[in-house]
Parts: sequence; structure tokens; C-alpha cells
Amino acid sequence: MEKFLANLDSSGSFAKKKSDNAGHHHIRSRHTSDSFDIGKSDGQEKVDQQNGSSNDEHLPEEATLPDQFFEEVDRFVNDDHGSKTSEIPKCIDVSFYKMVESMIVKYESKETSSAKFGQNEDQDALFLESLKCISKLINKITTDQFSSRSSNLLSSLNNASIVLHRGMSLLDEEFRLLLDQRRIVLDSKTPRTPKHSSFNFSSQSSQDSDRCLLPDSTESNEDEGFPNFSTEAISNMNKIATAMISCGYEAECCMAYTCFRRNAFREVLNKLGFDSITIDDAHRMQWESLEREIASWISIFKHCYRNLFPGESKFSDAIFSEYPSISQRLFSELAAAVITPFLSFSEVIALTKRSAERLFKFLDMCETLNDLLTTIDDSYSKEISQDLTSEIAVVKSQLAEAAASIFCELENSIKSDQGRTPVPSGQVHPLTRYTMNYLKYACEYRDTLEEVFRFHHKNVGFDDAPNQENHDINEHLTEMPNDDGTPKKSPFAIELIAVMDLLDANLEMKSRLYRDPALRYVFLMNNGRYILQKIKGSNEIHNMMGVTWCRKRSTQLRQYHKNYQRETWSRVLKCISHEGLQANGKVVKAVLKERFKNFNALFEEIHRTQSTWVVSDEQLQSELRVSISAVVTPAYRSFVGRFKQYLEGRSMDKYIKYQPEDIETLIDELFDGNPMSMGRRRN
Amino acid sequence: MPATTDSSAAASFTNIGRSILSLRRDQVHSIEGMNMQHHDADTELESFQKRVTDRFLDLSSSSDELLTLSWVQKLLQSFLISQDEFRQILFRNKSQLHKPPMDRLIADYFERSVKALDVCNAIRDGIEQIRQWQKLIEIVLIALDNKKLIGEGHFRRAKKAMVDLAISMLDEKESGSALANRNRSFGRNNVRDNLHKSLGHFRSLSWSVSRSWSAARQLQAIGNNLNAPRSHEIMATNGLANLVFTMSFVLLFVMWALVAAIPCQDRGLQVHFSMSRQFSWAAPMLMLHERIMEESKRRDRRNASGLLREIYQIEKSTRLMNELLDSAQFPITEEKEGEVRQRVQELSMVFESIKRGLNPLEGQVREVFHKIVRSRTEGLDSLGKGNGPD
Repeated sequence: MEKFLANLDSSGSFAKKKSDNAGHHHIRSRHTSDSFDIGKSDGQEKVDQQNGSSNDEHLPEEATLPDQFFEEVDRFVNDDHGSKTSEIPKCIDVSFYKMVESMIVKYESKETSSAKFGQNEDQDALFLESLKCISKLINKITTDQFSSRSSNLLSSLNNASIVLHRGMSLLDEEFRLLLDQRRIVLDSKTPRTPKHSSFNFSSQSSQDSDRCLLPDSTESNEDEGFPNFSTEAISNMNKIATAMISCGYEAECCMAYTCFRRNAFREVLNKLGFDSITIDDAHRMQWESLEREIASWISIFKHCYRNLFPGESKFSDAIFSEYPSISQRLFSELAAAVITPFLSFSEVIALTKRSAERLFKFLDMCETLNDLLTTIDDSYSKEISQDLTSEIAVVKSQLAEAAASIFCELENSIKSDQGRTPVPSGQVHPLTRYTMNYLKYACEYRDTLEEVFRFHHKNVGFDDAPNQENHDINEHLTEMPNDDGTPKKSPFAIELIAVMDLLDANLEMKSRLYRDPALRYVFLMNNGRYILQKIKGSNEIHNMMGVTWCRKRSTQLRQYHKNYQRETWSRVLKCISHEGLQANGKVVKAVLKERFKNFNALFEEIHRTQSTWVVSDEQLQSELRVSISAVVTPAYRSFVGRFKQYLEGRSMDKYIKYQPEDIETLIDELFDGNPMSMGRRRN
Repeated sequence: MPATTDSSAAASFTNIGRSILSLRRDQVHSIEGMNMQHHDADTELESFQKRVTDRFLDLSSSSDELLTLSWVQKLLQSFLISQDEFRQILFRNKSQLHKPPMDRLIADYFERSVKALDVCNAIRDGIEQIRQWQKLIEIVLIALDNKKLIGEGHFRRAKKAMVDLAISMLDEKESGSALANRNRSFGRNNVRDNLHKSLGHFRSLSWSVSRSWSAARQLQAIGNNLNAPRSHEIMATNGLANLVFTMSFVLLFVMWALVAAIPCQDRGLQVHFSMSRQFSWAAPMLMLHERIMEESKRRDRRNASGLLREIYQIEKSTRLMNELLDSAQFPITEEKEGEVRQRVQELSMVFESIKRGLNPLEGQVREVFHKIVRSRTEGLDSLGKGNGPD
């Protein structure tokens, strides 16, 4: 074989000679220094046979340089005069085809499993140039000269088209090989499995039912390798694609490209842990598993459109640099194909059972889709970007409806919380804690929820059920001024206030479960304080509820405080009032003793009960103690100071059981949730 | 009565989630029916039955049209309209939906419809596959451009695309041996790998990718325990049981016909249709069922990847074209060339009709998907609300 080739090399090489019209064309002129072997192949024999008589003449013609062929073809193609008589120049008809064919044979015979293209740049350029030249020639023959079907012309067309097709098939295969190169590179790198870490990362975060942490820049470094091609391979693919398209083989070129890129994506997604589950399965899945699926959906999906797609778009731009619209079309078709199953998954999630804890996952998905929308830009073809945008809108609307209905479920669950057992010690009710934590959480999704409810309110019309309360809410809202300049009636704010009002009403109802009105106010204070603290503690929710609302709540809390004091301490104060002790200008000792006795009993009773009550908010607790002390201690001190003199000896100790300082100390033991404090004292 | 005349009645209650691709976008408007306080439920249910019957009569009226792309589109259109009407009636009878046995019947329907979603996805893959064939046909049409002179190389190019097409159209089971043949004829080893990748892998990004998924089994699951309601159920639901049964059957039939027509994984048409004759739509539906079964048993269709008429035309044209290309000797005679031109003409007609029909069809399949999800989410909403405070 080698000997055969060597033979041919010596006898058939025609490319070593110097071009006498150097500088004709800069690409072409480089070929003059090429060494190009002509191998005689089966294909060539065929050409020879078909050219019959001209066969004998091929030897002298072989001396023609490639540039001369190109010129001949140019001349022929551009010849508009007398096209009828225009015959294919013989040198083209025989030697040129033969030269190209021998190039093909040479490529084909390369004993390598990898790409045969790209080993000799000049040679490749000459080959591609020759194919383009043949393609031009064929175009000229097939279109311009339809009428003159001379046998010479037809046979030249046959030869030219055979050579072109063979050349194109070779390029097609080379293109596929080059596109496939990535697999080899990627496989050797698999031990790193960079993507798995990101997958784990997100599934971990899903465990604490927190909002899913989205993978961010930490990952992006690892993705620069996709698509993972050498500059050389890209350059070769670019040359091949350009040649195939310019020679009319766009369809084949795009098919090969699409197919390999889709498979590359499939592999990458598989590596990322993208499970293909059927809708049927997803539908039946336990929430815990589904939650994991959602977390990985978000992280993989985000990874796709944030990291993989931009790389992919750049890659196709590099391959199809001469044909931007083809690049755009191929990229956007590919991206759409990747996005589609993700969208389908979101819709499936939207139709799973709704329950409160799922809200945040739904919102995560909504946010991801919003994020995706921002990435659909000019790298997508207009048609596909419109199509995707509307599809995403539909899917979002399904998720938004689900999210809105979950949120409305919260309202329902507040309404339906009709427990008859009061929380012991007047503490913060679990419903308050749950609702406030939920709302605080929800407010972190403020923008998305605004969108969800803007959308939801627009559509309440068709469904009579949701938000009949809306009217009340609106009335409620119109009373509210815009204190910080932001519009208060945002759709989510409406829902938020509705929930707060429901919670208020529910707590009001629950407070009536306490028989002791003082405890009732402690309960209201505890819950009101908790709500207010939660709201003040989160900027989002605070801004939404507004300063006025908070001020109103503070006033209300002060009122509860006053009411509590009145309920509990007015009786105590009555005992130590200076009035009513004197008859005819003299202090009546019996009445005084009675007053002290009453005070002691009353105070002890209050202490005993109210030190078991709980005010968990330290500030509120101390505010309460301070305010009680401020009223009771000075009154007692002055009472004792004024009337102590009327009691003597043993009866002094008996009736003045507590020094004013003792009272202060005992007041400081209130609201501690400690039933033992008085008992300890006594014993 | 053509199904389209119903479209004004097929208004949607909701503006949300309506696909941009909705063919009836301009015809859909919010129905005044919501305000029809004095609605006669019986008439409503009867007229639903009648409209469904009319649609299936229309679908079965022309045997020439059966299983063409435009027929499948019409079928899906019928489904979409019926589904809309179904939803409206359910909404108007919301109060009844939580009562047994209606709650169970509705839940059953939703379960079935969720199963249909997987079929929709599989069908979308099938459409994508047809699109690949369309691309290969396009190559043939480019190579053998009727407006141009044809050289032998053009024949070879067309032939190559033809062979790819033929392999791609074979059932997956058979494609292995065909690949070997193809490679022999092209004499290149590495072609096989590439070809493997180029064919049949476009479904890989889909949800229905799991190898074990079977359209046949899915259809069986949709049709599982689908029995005509008993008289006491009809009584207890004021006739709504019939409504749900009808819609369930329409769902089953439409999914079955889609699977029959479009390539998808593990097609199988052996679904038991136990239609009771008491429904007026049963007769035209049974007739369609019979005709499609007949079609599937025809010798030349038995191994088809889908019964879609256009697929048949592609197969036929491809076969004839292949024979012709094989027998052609160069220089080609004018007679042979004329024949080739003729075949190209036929092929370009199939090509055009696929090109025209495939995108709208895909849009409709998507819309079916969205509609099912939406009706399901609405169902959850209303059922959820009904049960909520309890």
C-alpha cells in the first residue's frame, strides 16, 4: 500500500511546481507550496472510464496547478456570453475532478480513528476550496444551462456531482467525528464529576424545608468546559460547516450538529442527575421525594440556562460564524428541546396536592422561571423565543394559581382553627407563631408573590370562591394612607392584610376563652407583641404592612396594657387608697387593719396566679413589671408611711406583712411562668 | 355538522393559561352562561352528549381523511372543545362535586387525565421524530430539485438521505439489523456509531424516556375500570355521572388514536373499548375504532411506526424512490428522469403537508396538556375549597 502510494507520489504529484501567477488569491497562492499526493482510486477509475476518450490526455493536464483550475472554473462560471456553446474546459472535466478525488482518497485512506481533517491546514484549505469550486460549477451547469443538455455537459455534471457528494460525505463524517471528540475528552475527566457536588448541594438545602438555595457563581467555574472543544477542533468544524453550507449541504450539516449537541446535553444532564421520571410517577410521589426532585430540578435547570446555554450559544456562533442566523436557529432549537421537559415537570408539580409547606417550593420554581425569562435574549431566534416565552407564561400561570390557592388555604386554616382550649398562662398561641413565621418566610418571596396575586386577582372573576373578603379588604385599605410613599395596595399586601385581619379576629375569639379578663389581656398582649416584633424584625413584611399599621398595633397593645392594669391593679390600689379611713377626723383602726389584710390577700392572690402567667417577651415583661411597680409601690409606700403609726407591736408585723421593697421584688416575679415562687417564700 | 360550529359555545371560563397557540383564540370569549341562573341541567347534559356525538360523526364522516394530519388535528380540536364544555358544566354544578359518588367519579377522571399527560409528552417526541424524517425528505428534495439538472452525485446524495430515512422509520427493534445493512452498503465502519447517534435519539430529553415506559400500558391504565355509570349513580348525580363517563371515554379514545397515528414508545392498540350503545356517540366512535384497527392490521401497515396517513405516504414514496434510484443508470434516460421528477413531486407534496401540519399539531398537543393540567388544578381548587373548613 505504501509503495503504491509512493509510486503515485512520484508520478502523479502535480502540485509542487511554482505558480506563475502567484498572488492571484491569497488563499490559493498558498497552495502552490503544498505537497499533494494524487492517488489513483476506484472512484478515479470511474471518472476516467466515464470520460472515455479524454482518458489518454490526462497526463499532460495533470501538470495544471490548482489555482489554474480555480481560474478556469471562475472563467466558466462567470461566462454569461454564448453560454449555449460553452463547454466545460477539458482540464476541469478530467484533471480537476481527478485531483479532488485523489484528495478524497488520500483523506479516506488515512489510518486513524480520529479526525483526518486538520492535520495539514494548507491541504485542508485547498480541499475545501476545490469543493466550493466544484459546487459553483455544478450550480452553473444545473441552473444556467438547463436547455443545452449536451452529453458532454451531462457527463461533466455527473462527475462533478459525484466528486462533490463524495467530498461532502467525507466532510459530514469528519464533522461528526469532531463533534464527537468531546465525549472522549469528557470521559477522561469524569472522575471529577463536578456536577454532582452541585446536585448534592441543592438537595442538602432542601432537607431543612428552607427555601432552596440556588446554585450560584460557585459552580460557574466548572462549566467553562462545556462545550469542551479545543480551539483547533472548533476551527476545523467551522471550516467544515462553512464549506458544507456554502456547497448546499446545510441540511446535512445542521442535522449532524443538532444530533450531537442534543446528545451532549443529554449526557451532561444525566451526569447532573437529571432523572427522567414520568408524570404518572411524579404524581404519585411522596412529597419528600418530590421536594428533592424540585430542588434538583431548580439547580440543574438553573445550571442549564445560566451556564450551559451561554457556552452553547458561543459554541454554535463559533462553528457557524459565517451564518449567524443558522447558529441562532440551531442554538435556540437545542435550548428549547432542553427546556421543554423542565417546563413539563413544573406543570406536573403545579397539579400535585397543595399544602401550606409546599408554597415555598412552588415559589422557588416560579422564581426560577422568571429568572429563565431574563435569559431569553437575542441568542434565541424570534420565533422560538416567542414560543418559549408564551409556554413559560402558561407554566408560570399554573404554578402561580397553585401558589395563590395554597396561600388562600392559609386563610382557610386560620378561619377554621376553632380550638376551645386556651393556651395555658396566656402565652403566644401556636397559630400566631405558625402564621407569622409563614408570612415572614413568604415575604422573602415578596416580588414573586406580588406577581402571583396580581395574576390571581385578575382571574378571581371566573371563580366565585376565593376572596370574597376582598371587598372588606379594599375598604380597609382605602383608609390607609401611604405613609412612606410606596403604594400600599399591592396585591400581595392585600392578601397579607387579609391574613393579619383573620388572625386578629381569631385571636380575639381565642382570648374570650379565658375567664380571667386580666389573663385575656395578657394573652392579647403576648400575641400582639409577638406579631409586632415579627413584623418589625423583617424589613420586607414591615414595609408591606406600613408604619401606620404598626403604629395602630402599638396603640392597641398599649390599650391592652391599660386594660390589664385596670383589671388587676385597680382593686389593689383601692385597698391602699388614703380615702375612707377616717371617721370624724380620726383614723379608724379596724378599717385600716381590714385594708392591710385585704391588700395582703389580694396581692398574694395576684402574685400566686400571675407569677404563673407567661410573658415571654423580655421587654414586654419588664415594661409590665415596671409599670405595675410604678403604680403600686409608691402608693403602698405612701400608705404604709402614712398609716404605719396607727399600728403597734405585733399587729404592725401582722398587718404590714410586706415592706415596699418586698412588693417591688414580688412584682418582679410576675409573668415568669413559675408556679412555685410564692410557695417557696411561704415555706 | 362540522365540529367548528360549536366553537362559539366552547368558550373558556378562564383567560389564564390559555395557550397562545390556541387555534380558537379569537373565537373564545367569556361565556354568559355563568349568569344563567335558571339553567336547565338536563338540557345542558343532553346537548353536551349531542355535541360530542356530532363531533365524532364528523370525524368518521370521511374515510379519505381518516388518520391524516388534518384529521388528527380535528380530533384534538374536538377534544379541546369537549373538555372546555365539560369544565363549564362542572363549574355550574360545583355544589354537587363533593357529594358521593360524584367526588369519586371526578377524582377518577382526573386520575385518568393525568395519565394522559405522559401520552401527550410521548406524542410530542413522536412529532419530533417525524420532524427528523421531514428533514431527511428535505435533503432528497434539495438533491433532486425539480427545477435543476440532476447529476449522478445528486442521486447519491438523495439515496443516502433515503436510506437514513428508511432506517429511521423502522421500528426500533428492527433498526439494528438495518443499520448493519446500511453500513455494508456504505462500506464505512465508523458510520455505524454516528448513525446510531443520529437516529432515534431525539426523544432522549423527554420525560417518557424511561425505557420501560409503554404507550400501550399507559392507554390501558387510562381505560382501566372505565365502565358506564349504573342507573343509581346517574340518579344520585343528576346525570353528571354520564357527563364524566363521556368525557373519560373521549379522553381514552383521543389518546388511543394519537398513539395509533403518531410514533411513540411501545405502541399497542389492544385497549378494551367497552362502549355501551346507550350513548349516541358510541356508534361513530366504535366505527372509527374499527377502521383504525383495520388499518393497523393491513399488511403494509402492520409494522408501521405510526398509522398517520402522511407516514404511509412517506414510506410509499421512499420505497418507490429507492427502487427508482437503484435502477437508474447513468447517463440517465429522459424517461427515467421523468419518473424521478414524478416521484420527487409526490414526495414534495407529502413534505409540504407535514411541514404545514406538524407545528400546529404540536401546538395542539401542548394545549391538550395545558388544558388537562388546568382542569385538574381547578378541580383541586374547588374540591379543596369544598373540603377546606371541615
